[in-house]
Amino acid sequence: MDESKLPEYDLTADAKQVSFRYTTINDDEVTAVDSVSLSINKGEYVAILGRNGSGKSSLAKLFNVLELPSSGKMKVFSLDTDDDECFWTIRSHSGMVFQNPDNQIVGTTVEEDVAFGPENLGVPLPMLKDRVEEALRYVGLEEKAQKQPTELSGGQKQKLAIAGVLAMSPEMLILDESTSMLDPKARDEFLQLIERLRKEKNMTVIHITHDMHEAYLADRIFVLSHGKILLEGSPAHVFSQTETIRNLGLELPKWAELLRKVALLTGETNSLTEDDFLSKDTAEAAIKRILMTAQLPNTEDEECASTVEERITLRVTELGHHYDHSDKAAIENVNFEARRGEVVAVIGHSGSGKTTLISHLNGIIRPQTGRIEVWDSKSKEYISTESNAQVKAIRKHVGLLFQYPEHQLFEETVEKDISYGPLKMGYSEEETKKLVKEAMALVGLDSNIATRSPFELSGGQKRRVAFAGVLAMDPEILVLDEPAAGLDPKGQREIFGYIESLKQKGKTIILVSHNMDEAAKIADRIVVLCKGKQRFFGTPKELFGGNQVLSDMRLEKPIILRTLDDLRESFPTLDTCVFRIGKAANALIAAAKEVRSKC
Amino acid sequence: MLTDISVGRYFHGNSVLHRLDPRVKVILFIAYMICVFMVTNPVSMLLIFATTLFIALLSRIKVSAILRSVRPVLFLMIFIFVLNVLTIHEGETLWSWWYITITQGGLTKAVLMAFRLFLLIMSTNLLLTLTTTPLKLSDALESMGKPLAYLHVPVHEMAMMMSIALRFIPTLVEETDKIMKAQVSRGADYDTGSFLKRAKGYVTVLVPLFVSAFKRAEELAVAMDARCYRGGVGKTKLHPLKMHKSDVIWLLVLSFLAIAPVVLDLSMKIK
Repeated sequence: MDESKLPEYDLTADAKQVSFRYTTINDDEVTAVDSVSLSINKGEYVAILGRNGSGKSSLAKLFNVLELPSSGKMKVFSLDTDDDECFWTIRSHSGMVFQNPDNQIVGTTVEEDVAFGPENLGVPLPMLKDRVEEALRYVGLEEKAQKQPTELSGGQKQKLAIAGVLAMSPEMLILDESTSMLDPKARDEFLQLIERLRKEKNMTVIHITHDMHEAYLADRIFVLSHGKILLEGSPAHVFSQTETIRNLGLELPKWAELLRKVALLTGETNSLTEDDFLSKDTAEAAIKRILMTAQLPNTEDEECASTVEERITLRVTELGHHYDHSDKAAIENVNFEARRGEVVAVIGHSGSGKTTLISHLNGIIRPQTGRIEVWDSKSKEYISTESNAQVKAIRKHVGLLFQYPEHQLFEETVEKDISYGPLKMGYSEEETKKLVKEAMALVGLDSNIATRSPFELSGGQKRRVAFAGVLAMDPEILVLDEPAAGLDPKGQREIFGYIESLKQKGKTIILVSHNMDEAAKIADRIVVLCKGKQRFFGTPKELFGGNQVLSDMRLEKPIILRTLDDLRESFPTLDTCVFRIGKAANALIAAAKEVRSKC
Repeated sequence: MLTDISVGRYFHGNSVLHRLDPRVKVILFIAYMICVFMVTNPVSMLLIFATTLFIALLSRIKVSAILRSVRPVLFLMIFIFVLNVLTIHEGETLWSWWYITITQGGLTKAVLMAFRLFLLIMSTNLLLTLTTTPLKLSDALESMGKPLAYLHVPVHEMAMMMSIALRFIPTLVEETDKIMKAQVSRGADYDTGSFLKRAKGYVTVLVPLFVSAFKRAEELAVAMDARCYRGGVGKTKLHPLKMHKSDVIWLLVLSFLAIAPVVLDLSMKIK
């Protein structure tokens, strides 16, 4: 079949009362999309928000006829999706980039993968080759054409997916959480590429995302809940309805959150308008306006006592590791320590050696140079991963949770799966039962799912089961690699909530995270890794209060700090090194009082 | 680490043999195999051996690497040799003790059989595994299997499955490594204990691996759908297989070298 030309059209998509229902294996009928009506203009950038399971992906699949509406009318490129004649025409002009980069690459080499789409459309040879080359050049992967996909980084794989779509010359691009598995740098590059596509090719973009800052890039936002559109409009319009957004399990961009908090504390919520939510600048202006005019309340800082105790539970000394197949050290000369009740965050770009570092902490990798010491509270002495005999004891002390840990579940029931660790560690059946119960409660898992299969749970629940599986071994040190990655905002908030309560219970937590705002908020100290070298170890205040390392490494400052930095121009005494919204709002009010008392 | 495994022991290179159309190599391989089994006299056998050496020379692969590729079947060769020596009783008895009798005929046949096997393995390795990427091989099989499509054999689908499997082997190997590390962190031990205990332990790796493989398959199917995949009908190819003049020449030369010993062998028998 040849690619058919598209007719002239104004609306890329036009849905009228569209519903989509499907039946699960258990014969339950699920209404994933519930009488949705919407239209998307040609060249428009639309973001779709909503919690996991709100029907976003199903809706997206209706746009490129991967699914057909159960009822209602759907037109794409002004063609009827019901019409069999139009089916391939619509699909050949729409591209889709999925969440997991690995699961959408078909080709054994990069160029073969890009060719897959046009090959299917029957594009003949000289043209086929040109298209592949052009698409690869556009996304900047021309030098990788002959490489195997597994040799690419996550960010490069998603660019490859874009190239594969571009080679089909689409007019609509659907991004189904395409950025959720990327690190901040790769994410920025990906978003810049999308921006270029919009400008240069007038591409219509439909972007499903959990990242509210990404959503702000869109012209229009649809917020979905239980298959229905609950909110619709410009980002400013949608996010100015702060309470609805929060009740839907979503979040506000950090600067909007700060504005909301300041307004709440000063009782000025009613004075906020849609225009205040247009951008970070307008939000800052609104904060200034409120602080200079409103009656300022007396602030009490919710000073929480530090949970950090004296006892050092984990000590890493001059650690180095060098893989056989590489000529560079994966990590070298890493030195840090962590105490009881302390959260130490490890940050750094992809490939900085974070995974190698944490694999050392419970002896999966043994140190080639340097040592790892863990405090054993029973024998009252430090044990190290050097000796084989002690590694087993260390695994009991150090619980390690890798990225996307739900992939390690294997048992028939949730309870059995969580029991695996403690039983292996030598706890008795009875003790294990108790530990499992406690662990499940800690991560908010209802006891009635204990007998269910872990594989029938939702993504967020699976994540918590895996988390509980490590907690049940009752480790004193927890090493968590991106524990909230890929979850929706509410799921992320919950995970960070559990981490905080574990800290309160005196656990030591080593947290690997890309999310600067969360890392800065929760961490007592931070380790910065860059290309295997440790560049910094100290408190968030030391790091973000004007340390050279940040700019050297092109690490992003937390958004809340950038907002406070801007506001400092108007409020010179403002403490710009606070990481919690509540504290930031209080600091603002205190600084504003000072300014106003001088006038 | 597990991720270092390479598939099919392909040796990267740019020799005549590497560049040869994979279909030619498959045809040659089949012809060669038949010839090796038809030949019975030692002279013809040595001629085929000479051809094998010539092909090895063409491949420009180090002798040590070629020999290493034969090593896995060394045991089988010895086994077949011993079996033949002991069971075939023809001609003059050379040596006899207790139940064991070695005859001249038996010894000749045993040497011949073991040598055949050696040549067979050499040709498989030289023509196929060492010099042909799995992808090219799958392309060749698809192209040569086309006539079978008329008999409703899903040739394209089988080739597609093969190339997807090749694409995902490294990904799944990486995943296995990750899962094992995660389970080790939960106290799993894959290195000690009885065989049965270890085999049981692998359940903790295999179940998650299967679950994830199925999930990947499902997502990949949707992704392929989104890129307009609908079987082999009307599909074009970025790198179609093309027979060049040189391919034809090599096909003729090498098949001559393979068939000549057979002709010699037959003519000797007729005499």
